[in-house]
Amino acid sequence: MSAPALRVSGLGKQYAVNELRHTGTLGARLWSIVRPPPENPALPRSIWALQDVSFEVAPGEVFGVIGRNGSGKSTLLKILARITVPSAGQAELAGRVGALLEVGTGFHPDLSGRENILLSGAILGMTPAEIRAKESAIIEFSGVGRFIDTPVKHYSSGMFMRLAFAVSAHLLCEIMLVDEVLAVGDTGFQEKCKAKIAEVAQAGGTVIFTSHDMAAVERLCRRVLVLSEGRVAYLGEAKAGIAEYWKRVLA
Amino acid sequence: MAGFIVRPTHEHALLDLGELWRFRHLFTVLVWRTLKVRYQQTAIGIAWAVLQPLLLAFVFTVIFGLLVQMPTDRGQPYPVFTLSGLLVWQFVAQSFQQATGSVVANSHLVTRIYFPRLLLPLAAITAALFDLLCVLGLMAVFMAWYGVAPSIGVLCFVPAVLLAAITVLGLALWLGALYVPYRDVGHLLPFMTQIWMFICPVFYPLFLLPPKYTLIYALNPIVVSVQTSRWAFAGGEPPALSMVAVSCAVAALLLVSGLWFFRRHEGRFADLV
Repeated sequence: MSAPALRVSGLGKQYAVNELRHTGTLGARLWSIVRPPPENPALPRSIWALQDVSFEVAPGEVFGVIGRNGSGKSTLLKILARITVPSAGQAELAGRVGALLEVGTGFHPDLSGRENILLSGAILGMTPAEIRAKESAIIEFSGVGRFIDTPVKHYSSGMFMRLAFAVSAHLLCEIMLVDEVLAVGDTGFQEKCKAKIAEVAQAGGTVIFTSHDMAAVERLCRRVLVLSEGRVAYLGEAKAGIAEYWKRVLA
Repeated sequence: MAGFIVRPTHEHALLDLGELWRFRHLFTVLVWRTLKVRYQQTAIGIAWAVLQPLLLAFVFTVIFGLLVQMPTDRGQPYPVFTLSGLLVWQFVAQSFQQATGSVVANSHLVTRIYFPRLLLPLAAITAALFDLLCVLGLMAVFMAWYGVAPSIGVLCFVPAVLLAAITVLGLALWLGALYVPYRDVGHLLPFMTQIWMFICPVFYPLFLLPPKYTLIYALNPIVVSVQTSRWAFAGGEPPALSMVAVSCAVAALLLVSGLWFFRRHEGRFADLV
């Protein structure tokens, strides 16, 4: 086996509970020095959103990360995308990482579709020349058509999502992180997205994706990681992983 | 392939110029977006950049020039005198507020995508430079109208603006990083900006200050920037070299400490914003 595109070892992410409660005003902080708040034994001081996660993904593989809501899928992808730093362990990524964590990231409502393609492409790490070369393909893929020069605040939510995904789907990277985008758009558009993911993998790219659509996971992935309360519940063949997922969802 | 390793603690280089260069296209697009959005859907567009200092210069001229009879450095006309200060001050006020708020204002980007967070305050300050260029045009009109010739100080204007930009960046890095967990900064910001203007010689001349306090006064680098602008465009006196030295030292200290503080905390912006 060639060198892995992605090697994650002992990765963990700890959140202080106080941070999650958003009560951190400067005044509250200063006041707590004078009079510390009473300890609430029911509330832990911190929680591990992700703990001791290790796996490897080979180049050209489509790797699924599944689990219930709150199992740590998005935290894992956020760490891999370098949006937040891990508290423990490390991840080695060989190549340019493209994150598709939430479609429409960086879209500005006052700018036109065409201008947002430029903005969004730059945010995803493309050069203006690369974006210009792909512009017509992106517009074609989105199906937005003649509205491309209209400010996106006048778009329907479907048009907005399709254009946003179209930009992300055309970005150039070796490792692509895809978080829940299959929930977007109508069936026809979802099929387009799945075809795109398979196409990226065929071209030698690595795709890490999370979804609750088990039919899509089974079709696209050979191997999956099942997360449960931030820990690895299963790692291996997709079929057995999906069975494990159902067991946990229905339990 | 551009690979990398994600770890709990990075080696915190104060400034990773190579990485900033790799993200230069995003920087350009962020500046372009800021300008485009700021003046889109306004009736007079970019004219706002000139109108604000023009109106302020008018108000100051009426209140301080006519009513208070404020003296000027060498008796030059008050409108030219105050606009040469507003030229720098408007840039400082605008870039300071925008740069400090930039991380919070772009939280939708910070929580969803990786890029050097330093680009946000940098882009905010660069966008404010465009407005400064517009006001420079207004300054030329004032000078022609009142028959004031530029001095050799014009050569020092660019370094003076740079000094102001470095000061603003340093402060914005500190306050911008603090703004992420503490929204108190948002309430403080307009107030701080107002106080800051009073301690800059925007509507009064530098010589009103007792000479023994000038070095303390120069702890605010914008004083030197304003005075240089006045020297360049409004027939004022150049700032004393000792003041320039103090101001440059303060600006450098702010920048280095600001970079250190910002870099230390940027990894957790996405968790806290």
